[in-house]
Amino acid sequence: MLRELKDKEYIPPKNMLKLFIKGGFVLSKVLIKNMGQLKKARKERIEYIPPKRNYELPEYKPGMKVIKSNEKYLRPTLYCNPYAKEIIALANHLGAFEKDPYEYARDAFEFVKRNLILQIMPLDGVVPTLKRGYGTCLHKISLFIALCRAAGLKARYKLYAIAMIQQWYETFVEIDPLMREWYDAMGYFMLHGEGEVYIDGKWIVADVGPTPERQAATGIPITKFGEDSIGIWFQAIPGSIMRVESLPLGLGTASKLLMEKISPASVAKMNNNILGQVEKGRKILQEIGEEEYNRRVRKGYKMPTIELERKSIIFE
Amino acid sequence: MIEFKEYIKNLNKRLHNYIPDPATFTPGEEGVFKPLDLYNHPKKEADEYKFKAIKYAFKHHYENNSFYKKYCKENNVTPDDIKSIDDFNKIPLIPDKFFKTYPSGKEFAMWLATTYTGELPNIVIKRTDDHDAIINKFNDAGLVISYSSGTSGRHTFIPRDKRTFNDTEYAIAKAAITMIYPFWEYDSYGYLLMPNPFKTNVFAGKVCSVYFDAIKDVQVALDRELKADLIRAAMKNNLKGRIIRYAMQRENKKMMERIINWLRENYKNKNKISFIGAPFILYFVMEELERNGESFDFGENGAVITGGGWKIFEGQRIPVEEFRKKVEKILGIPPENCLDLYGMVEGNGWMIHCPEGHYLHIPSTYYHAMVIDENGEEVAYGEKGRFAFLDGLAMSYPSFIISGDEVRMYEECPVCHRSSPVLEPEVSRAKGDEMRGCAEEMRRVLSMDLGGKDA
Repeated sequence: MLRELKDKEYIPPKNMLKLFIKGGFVLSKVLIKNMGQLKKARKERIEYIPPKRNYELPEYKPGMKVIKSNEKYLRPTLYCNPYAKEIIALANHLGAFEKDPYEYARDAFEFVKRNLILQIMPLDGVVPTLKRGYGTCLHKISLFIALCRAAGLKARYKLYAIAMIQQWYETFVEIDPLMREWYDAMGYFMLHGEGEVYIDGKWIVADVGPTPERQAATGIPITKFGEDSIGIWFQAIPGSIMRVESLPLGLGTASKLLMEKISPASVAKMNNNILGQVEKGRKILQEIGEEEYNRRVRKGYKMPTIELERKSIIFE
Repeated sequence: MIEFKEYIKNLNKRLHNYIPDPATFTPGEEGVFKPLDLYNHPKKEADEYKFKAIKYAFKHHYENNSFYKKYCKENNVTPDDIKSIDDFNKIPLIPDKFFKTYPSGKEFAMWLATTYTGELPNIVIKRTDDHDAIINKFNDAGLVISYSSGTSGRHTFIPRDKRTFNDTEYAIAKAAITMIYPFWEYDSYGYLLMPNPFKTNVFAGKVCSVYFDAIKDVQVALDRELKADLIRAAMKNNLKGRIIRYAMQRENKKMMERIINWLRENYKNKNKISFIGAPFILYFVMEELERNGESFDFGENGAVITGGGWKIFEGQRIPVEEFRKKVEKILGIPPENCLDLYGMVEGNGWMIHCPEGHYLHIPSTYYHAMVIDENGEEVAYGEKGRFAFLDGLAMSYPSFIISGDEVRMYEECPVCHRSSPVLEPEVSRAKGDEMRGCAEEMRRVLSMDLGGKDA
């Protein structure tokens, strides 16, 4: 049992554990220091209407093809069941087994990236995510991975801690004093990620998290299949990048506790802000068109990427 | 009246500690130390200085800074591509926000080391060191790491070496003293409306330490130790933030009394005085004087150099012209002696009002200013866009920056005869960019809607 858990990477790797422990410790400190604020935040009622799903679910028909394998990166993992009927139906609908693997993976990427809206919420499986039409970046990555695995393409998670750009800081962090203190105390956002799919001997990155609208609203390029967000709109905290087959055990409970029990009003504020961003971005893209927007924004200035050097620093 | 040449010679004598051995001048330093007037140098010669300075700085950072070299490669630019000033727009610009993307903990030290161009001396960092402790260790090793913060609470950290810092201190002094000619003399009294340079790593305060060498007697408005954590805490709306702000507000009243008494004493003794720093402090001093029906007539014996932004209350800016009128009415200091200075922690160029038209003149011998549109392209003179610059003075970090400030630039000053290009008198923040400016930072820390409101 333990061996299987380890093999499937349900047990968080060391650096993820370190991140969670540090994040949890800092959060506890922030909450203890700001009990009054927390009490106020918990009582606060924020009006929030979740977005509606903006696509139809394809119908599952018996006999639809699916690859079932116990091979690493192909098998079902936590919150990521590629054998669910809804996933099989969508994979077939998107052209699994008909298109060449790259083309199919790109279309699966485009579907998840464009159609599912980012909303902050506790972790759950790919089927409710697909039915709902929204979720966190981790929900979206899981869906992308499930679609790839259902089509027989190996896929995994690339998770890391991020130092985000100012516009994202304003959306997620600045709006809430507790979030702000938590983020500022840590200097980074605890967990973000991308998917990776294995095609022709190479892992190809798939940044399904941000929709084009959200990217347009914050003035950053609309990332394509194979294009990494790191360096475009945020930096990964050095040493925090982890490539894993599964999301770890405990993440679901932790996210539930954090988002539903500790400060639901903060989450509602963030989600409203994200929906506002989507609307703003939609207008931008309607006005100038996605191609023109992308052309313009890629001509502008991007952030340099930085790989930390130790030089002659000695750490005690 | 003293000749300008003699005047600058006196300044150089006074600030000789800031001037390196001329045999070792970098081209950027040549552009700062050799010309008499940074804002009115013959154009052809100024361009020669500037080209050498920026080409040299670009090559230096390309060769000695790994992240910048990689960035240049991504942009397909090498130093060989820069053959004339017309090629300056090929030099990859770094968004000013980049210097806010630091990680925490020990990685912050590595981030500073990586953004720093060249080798560093040995620096020992402990696990428990916070930002200020890490900065102080770098500074003990001979660097001058300073920062400024935006309203988001994220600081902008810039790793200067001692020499670059001395150069920028000299440049700011030369900027102010040149434009205020013939006002400056060592035998005078100054009031620094900024944090004490010797007790803070806040750039706007630290860079003013040169004031203490240029003027015989300098008082400081904010004399307490000002650490990064205190600034962050003061900006927060929790109990700690409120306590700090309450204490600051009590301190503010005393600060105002000290400034008013200082004015009275110097006026009585017919001393020459100057104020340098955040305009809002002087604004509230003048408000207090006005309430008491008190005024002075310093005339040509007084000067005011402001900097850092014009926000007086939350959501309220004072027009610069109105401020000058108030200075003339309450302190008797003429508008020609009341100038504003514009600069930023990321750069070493100081734009300063000319006394005649109060346009912001750009130094033309080591610093190249550009205005950039949303597509990253240069706009024509007179059009609005983001302020960007190539700084030939910074040797310890690549100072090729696109800022979040919105400006309009003109090829020449519509009012005065100086040969340097100018920016419109007031600079604002571009849409979507956070409010910043050292005065705003101080205003928040001091909780300084001195009328009693909470910032």
